Amino acid sequence: MSKYPTSVKKVDFPEKISGKAKYADDFVFPDMQYAKTVRSTIPCGKIKKITVPKLPDGYYWISAKDIVKENVVNIIFSDWPVFADGRVNYCGEAIGIFVGEDKAILDKLCEEIKVEYEPETPIYDFSEAYISKGYKKGDYEAAKKKAKQVVRRTYQTGYQEQAYIEPQGLVLYYDESGKMTITGSMQCPFYVKRAVMRTLGLKDDEVRVIQPAVGGAFGGKEHYPSLIGAQLATASYKIHKPIKMVFERYEDIAYSTKRHPSKTEMEALIDENKNIIGIKSKVSLNGGAYKGCSGVVLSRALIAATNAYVIPNLDISGDVYRTNTVPTAAFRGFGSPQTIFAMEMFIHHIAKEIGVDPLELRMKYLAKQGDITANSGKFHDPIVLDKLFEKAMEMSDYKRKIAEYSKPGSLRGIGMSCFLHGCGFTGSGESDIIHAKVKVSKDENDHVTCYASSVDMGQGCRTTLKHIVAKNLGLPDDEVEMDYPDTDKTPDSGPTAASRTIIIVGFLMEKAAKNLKKIWKKGVAQEIIEPYVGPSYIHWDEETMQGDAYPSYSWGVNVVEVEFSPVTFEITLKGVWSVYDVGRVVDERIAVGQADGGVLQGIGYGFMENETCVDGKFKQRSLSDYIIPTTMDVPHMETAFIDNPFIYGADGAKGMGELTLVGGAPAVALAIENAIGKEIHKIPATPEYIMEVLKDGKN
Amino acid sequence: MAKIKFNLNHKDVEVELDPSTRLIDVLREHFGLKGVKEGCGEGSCGACVVLLDGYSVNSCLLPLANVEGHEVITIEEFSKTKRFEVLKEAFADEGATQCGFCSPGMIIAGESLLSHNPHPTEEEAREALSGNLCRCTGYQSIVHAVLEASKKGEGLW
Amino acid sequence: MVKKYIAYSLDEALDILASKDVYIVAGGSDMMVQKKNTAGLLPKFDKDVLYVSHIDELKKVYEDKDGIHIGAGAHLSDLENNKLVPELLRKCISEVASVNIRHFATLAGNIANASPAGDTIVIDVLLDAEVVLVSKKGIRKVKAEDFVLGVRKIDRHQDELIKELIFPVHKFDKELWHKVGSRKADSISKLSFAGVYSLLGDKVKEFRCAFGSVAIKVMRSHELEKEIEGMSLSELNAQKDELIEKYSHVIAPIDDQRSNKEYRQKVAMNILAKFLDEIIKGGK
Repeated sequence: MSKYPTSVKKVDFPEKISGKAKYADDFVFPDMQYAKTVRSTIPCGKIKKITVPKLPDGYYWISAKDIVKENVVNIIFSDWPVFADGRVNYCGEAIGIFVGEDKAILDKLCEEIKVEYEPETPIYDFSEAYISKGYKKGDYEAAKKKAKQVVRRTYQTGYQEQAYIEPQGLVLYYDESGKMTITGSMQCPFYVKRAVMRTLGLKDDEVRVIQPAVGGAFGGKEHYPSLIGAQLATASYKIHKPIKMVFERYEDIAYSTKRHPSKTEMEALIDENKNIIGIKSKVSLNGGAYKGCSGVVLSRALIAATNAYVIPNLDISGDVYRTNTVPTAAFRGFGSPQTIFAMEMFIHHIAKEIGVDPLELRMKYLAKQGDITANSGKFHDPIVLDKLFEKAMEMSDYKRKIAEYSKPGSLRGIGMSCFLHGCGFTGSGESDIIHAKVKVSKDENDHVTCYASSVDMGQGCRTTLKHIVAKNLGLPDDEVEMDYPDTDKTPDSGPTAASRTIIIVGFLMEKAAKNLKKIWKKGVAQEIIEPYVGPSYIHWDEETMQGDAYPSYSWGVNVVEVEFSPVTFEITLKGVWSVYDVGRVVDERIAVGQADGGVLQGIGYGFMENETCVDGKFKQRSLSDYIIPTTMDVPHMETAFIDNPFIYGADGAKGMGELTLVGGAPAVALAIENAIGKEIHKIPATPEYIMEVLKDGKN
Repeated sequence: MAKIKFNLNHKDVEVELDPSTRLIDVLREHFGLKGVKEGCGEGSCGACVVLLDGYSVNSCLLPLANVEGHEVITIEEFSKTKRFEVLKEAFADEGATQCGFCSPGMIIAGESLLSHNPHPTEEEAREALSGNLCRCTGYQSIVHAVLEASKKGEGLW
Repeated sequence: MVKKYIAYSLDEALDILASKDVYIVAGGSDMMVQKKNTAGLLPKFDKDVLYVSHIDELKKVYEDKDGIHIGAGAHLSDLENNKLVPELLRKCISEVASVNIRHFATLAGNIANASPAGDTIVIDVLLDAEVVLVSKKGIRKVKAEDFVLGVRKIDRHQDELIKELIFPVHKFDKELWHKVGSRKADSISKLSFAGVYSLLGDKVKEFRCAFGSVAIKVMRSHELEKEIEGMSLSELNAQKDELIEKYSHVIAPIDDQRSNKEYRQKVAMNILAKFLDEIIKGGK
């Protein structure tokens, strides 16, 4: 008897488990060359002179001067150069690449090249804002006049490294027709394609991107591969040979994008009846040297500023700051883990300061269907947060434990977070910007194939998307094909990001399959191309940040139990319980896998994963020093889902990829707080930080 | 350069390479055994784990010199066994593979455990897999899969 | 071009060592990280290398009148499961690196690499192990404590090979190994502590403790140990704070990518305090 009787076989499982699946570094082509990056050794300054050593035959130096069309990586805000041109803005910025067939010679060339700089004073603090956003709800200033008490706190979050087990890497080669083709570790084949087109000035049919097996991504391979792709394509323009660039682990940790460190200053207005009548939140994100996608990260951080709580008066604003450090970018959660951590801690600290029970206080403000969102839109769909709480508390025995662990002398602690996550692109972005399409076709033998550009990077979308099609056509799963995305064959169904794959692409697959079924003619080749049409009631103004921020929301409650050692200040996880509303679960086994992995990544963010940047350089540059949990760090985890089908989702499904991460950090931080009896204001709450907190009696 | 003989996947092989060559490079580049993955190159992640005389070892840290005269089994060979089938079924049922990059190493670490301790406790299973990092699953499914395999493969180990 | 030698017997190894300045590689788990190069390239050895993992004479573990002999080539995982090996050492080994690495790493390699974070060195020093060095000229024995001179510096002559470590057979009433890593497994120590003691009536008959990862090498104070030995438990109780204060000057931790000096200092003393408390309680 299978553990998950309703789940289907994962399509890529047999090749992955037996080691046959091909990842970036497994591709080998005749006459293949390697590329190695020469990086800036200073955080900022002008490049005065580059002295390239004498190149052996067949070796090339590719830099800004070799740019064919435009020296920019095509990201949302295109300010990041493919190769530094005249100046560098962070330690590790690519100045150029050496290309040739022997890696040892490439290393030698990288050692011999001389780059002379005119250093400038770097910025590392929150002093130079380069993106600012904000919105208001109600009248915060008027509410402030009525307030009887004001509570203030500041919260900080650190860097987080995606730490996918497969490092970044791409391989460029020429397909059977001679077309430039790129394969490798990536989340968004069309992003890589467009980046290459823009840098080289190529037409749509002049470059092809094919995704192979991807060894984890978590946001880290959303934009960064566009940089590598543009570099390799620039080199290939000169060299016309296959080129492989696979990062060493230190290179990946030290120079690829990470989660934005943040500071959130919060203020709550309390009236005479101990109601929260207003919240002000000022969010600061460290964006690093280039903006890239940071504007959207800020936007999503601000939208989540009051998390799952509905407060009448809000003043929410934030800035992304330029620093001379590695640019920060996408990471599962995309801004919301930072602000949801802050809000979850804050509501507890408000409760403590005004003398009410934290659980009662948060219950009072939980969002309900029909409520006005922070951005003055509406929660259109049914919300079952009360059921989530009930189930989570029952599973974890929360009420008994919180009472027991709150007694002085207890070394145990329990923490509970509740949270929401917007599914799909912000606002009406899916309808207005992405214009996702999918294709479902059948040949004369009635053999069905479905096409989407969604990348299976472990989350199982090749299995679930195919299953949705098979189910709606009334076919067994193994009678439907779905291959890896290939930009020559696959319509652009948008990036694999923003928890949009099931709710948007899955929904399209469902519609396409239904439409194919309607016109199904036996023995005739037919195809359906399905474009996305979102709910018509969703309206959003990006400028004012007013309206419906997302097509829909998923919801969750996490409970974490810990034990604290007063001798070493170490935290041991003792249990994790999670309940989610992801609409309707498409495949339980895959959903539980997402949930377990996501919550652990969130918990790791909260108490373990420490990446510090000193003088523009990361101190932790290996998987021995950047610590992620092992089997021994993880306790028993239990996950449940509450069924709450969404009318615009595939078979009622909503997004869940990011949702499962965002509640981990506040839950573990609140558990630690409960165990040590002091407030936590910063994550990761490492033993070193906990020692500091306990030393500081003021807390 | 030196001629070095060892037993690879039940075949006697001889290579002429520098004895300092990392075993992972010998396996991937020389023998094309791409199921052996490199995640960190310094023994932290376990993606490159192979069996050396039946024990899981990090092939990124083993110089070829140390392999001489020994038996190396990679996922390519192990995946032909009945034990693998049992582990595979358990991994499939639990959903213990997501991105798959750690999977060959996990399977080898699981085999190394079960071949020396056919009935591990959960604690022993966690311990045995603790040198193999996974960023997707949260480990729960992997630990359960190895324990399930131990039950279902009764007599095989 | 550096040369690589593989020795198949002790004599062969000593012949090479007599004439060459070489890196000695046993399991390789530490050297291969230290000399790590780009994937696909040879490790960066800047002088000749001698591989010693095939020498059977180095793999023996046995007991005689001198103590427990642990061959330089014995794998940590074998020692972990060998009842002859001192229990405290086995406990320590069970937390070294990861299971996979313990399958080929060696005890001698750990001390020979002399990392301040080398866990088993703490036990070598605490238990007064001797490092047996052998060369064509003969045998030289050095106490583990004297063998490590500093960060990656050891008292080995160019022609010498570590043959084994000898641990005196000695029973203590209680033994403690406490590793503080960044996580529960597959982790490099932020700091570590090992302590042993025996009581005679209400007096401390024997006391030793050693600290790892909190100075350039493992730190142990014979002076303070002598001061504690002979104390009654009530005297120990009365002087506890003073002793901890004295011990706090024995170590000199630093900030690095794994922790900071304040934490290392405080936690090392916390563990010592807890250990002393146990001794004090143990007598009652």
